[in-house]
Amino acid sequence: MGLFQKISRGREFLEEILKILYYYRGRVIFSFAGVALGILSICIIITTIDGANKKAKEIFETLGPDSIMVWGGGERQRTARVRGSTLTLRDAENLEKIEGIYDSVRTYYSRRPTMKYKDRKWQSRIIGSTINYFESMSWELQAGVPFDEDDYKNAKAVCVIGSKVYDELFQGEDAIGKVILAGRLPMTVVGVLKERGGGTGGPQIDDRVIMPLTTVTSRVVNDKKYLSGVRLRTNRDVSETVEDVRAVLRRNHGLPESAEDDFTIRSSQDIIKFVTVISGQLLLFLGMASVVALVVSGFVLANLFYLTIQERRKDIGIRRAYGASKRGILLSFLFESVIITLLGGIAGILLSLALGGTFEALFDIPMLFSYKVVVFALMFSFITGLIAGFRPALKASRIEPIEAIRG
Amino acid sequence: MIRLRNIKKSYFIGERELPILKGIDLEIKNGEFVILMGVSGSGKTTLMNIVGLLDKQTEGEYRFMDVTINGLDDERLAAMRNLHIGFVFQQFFLLPYLNAIENVLIPIVYSSKQIKHPREKAKVLLTKFGLSERIHNKPSQLSGGEQQRVAIARALINEPDLILADEPTGALDSKTGGEIMDLFQMLNEEGKTIIVVTHDPKLASFGKRLIRIEDGTISEDITR
Repeated sequence: MGLFQKISRGREFLEEILKILYYYRGRVIFSFAGVALGILSICIIITTIDGANKKAKEIFETLGPDSIMVWGGGERQRTARVRGSTLTLRDAENLEKIEGIYDSVRTYYSRRPTMKYKDRKWQSRIIGSTINYFESMSWELQAGVPFDEDDYKNAKAVCVIGSKVYDELFQGEDAIGKVILAGRLPMTVVGVLKERGGGTGGPQIDDRVIMPLTTVTSRVVNDKKYLSGVRLRTNRDVSETVEDVRAVLRRNHGLPESAEDDFTIRSSQDIIKFVTVISGQLLLFLGMASVVALVVSGFVLANLFYLTIQERRKDIGIRRAYGASKRGILLSFLFESVIITLLGGIAGILLSLALGGTFEALFDIPMLFSYKVVVFALMFSFITGLIAGFRPALKASRIEPIEAIRG
Repeated sequence: MIRLRNIKKSYFIGERELPILKGIDLEIKNGEFVILMGVSGSGKTTLMNIVGLLDKQTEGEYRFMDVTINGLDDERLAAMRNLHIGFVFQQFFLLPYLNAIENVLIPIVYSSKQIKHPREKAKVLLTKFGLSERIHNKPSQLSGGEQQRVAIARALINEPDLILADEPTGALDSKTGGEIMDLFQMLNEEGKTIIVVTHDPKLASFGKRLIRIEDGTISEDITR
């Protein structure tokens, strides 16, 4: 008994509804498309916000809330993907003397030489760094040890390799103590980093070889004046420290009042702020778009349904004569409308999966597609169908069979 | 099977009462083939609607299949119609989005009877009515006579006790109409109870019993 009393053959019932939808496809398509678009934008909102939040959290966790990054080259050069060499060793020394700075990692990025081990080759980037790199990035090793003070002072040819490099060159073999060729420079592997993957900076994060800064500047690039970047950590207020950093650098570089910075400063708060602003704008824009799309498609659905019911009076009459109760009719019309919106919802989900990649590339925002998205999307489409279909279905159920049959 | 006691039915137009049925007493037994004849406005269709559980009388008692119908709710009435009655209408009323066999299967969707292999059964019925070549045709691809035969197959699929046909030949030429009546004759010989409602005097020769309705009352009741 209960709600489904009158529909004892569910499969036939559903088949019939699908045939009805196909017969009235000219009308159905509008509601279907509207719901699909609405659900598409809801999916994009949820995946984007999830992705952005995850990224923000990872940045915060890996960098620490108190870190400030300084690179050579101004904002414009950065956006053009040019790394200007403007940050000097002397700058770094001065920055480290700023009040509150308790940790500093100096880095030098070289070009991408080809690494060789036995007959295996892999192109990776070399990062020269101070010895506190690993501790400061809270990046543990899966094997071996980091290079030490002695290695650093004597510019020894030693390196710690990222897990991607390890996989490519050693493929599971023991790497510690082995000699690899970085370009033409032979060097000894002393440690292998744990995989960090996916999150901050994409999959390339594990594709790196870290060497003592001194080794890189004297034996790889022969540049004793400049650095690529410095990562500072402060126990004072982050934004105040950022101002001090900016003042020191501008003075050192002799920049006049009117000139733009020829360096770039980022705190992890900046990054989070950036991510939050972007996802906030997306939420506003797409949120409104999806609500509008769903409401409009709901109205369209309801109105087309109303029309259809006038046309289907005889259909309803005959069903009532053959044993459909009022509730049976109400139910079958509700089903019809919910199936339209659910199909629209599924199309929206599939579309968002298909378009997700494009969107990601376009806005440089990671998207996190989870079961939560599917549940939300289906729930929204279900509710839209229920609300839009209810009044027409009620009207249909109130049609008396004799009136309908009499025509 | 059917017992009507002093059935009255009136419509109200504003304050004015418009009596349609003025006290009908009637009994129809299993296996009968009844022609219910009357001119337009005589009340024959209203009587059929009450007998078919599609309408309710204003007064009187109706017992159908040993159940007193007075005061049953919509759910129960729908279930009774589904279990016991197969309808055939003048305008066929096949659903345009379903093909012949799917139209025949409509009552099955709402049926609580466990009809075994309904599709096979529908096929057998259609074949029996000479429509084996038309099983997958849409109503728009069928002639009037063919559509009515599909409708009769639909009326039979759920194994009802009673076939109620309202002007089943009204939209057909006389030859095709005669074929449809022969079909009812055959079904009656197989044991089905059949009531045909019509205004057409030519149909008086069919059936085992002729009931004439005039002005809301039974004026003639002849059993052959």
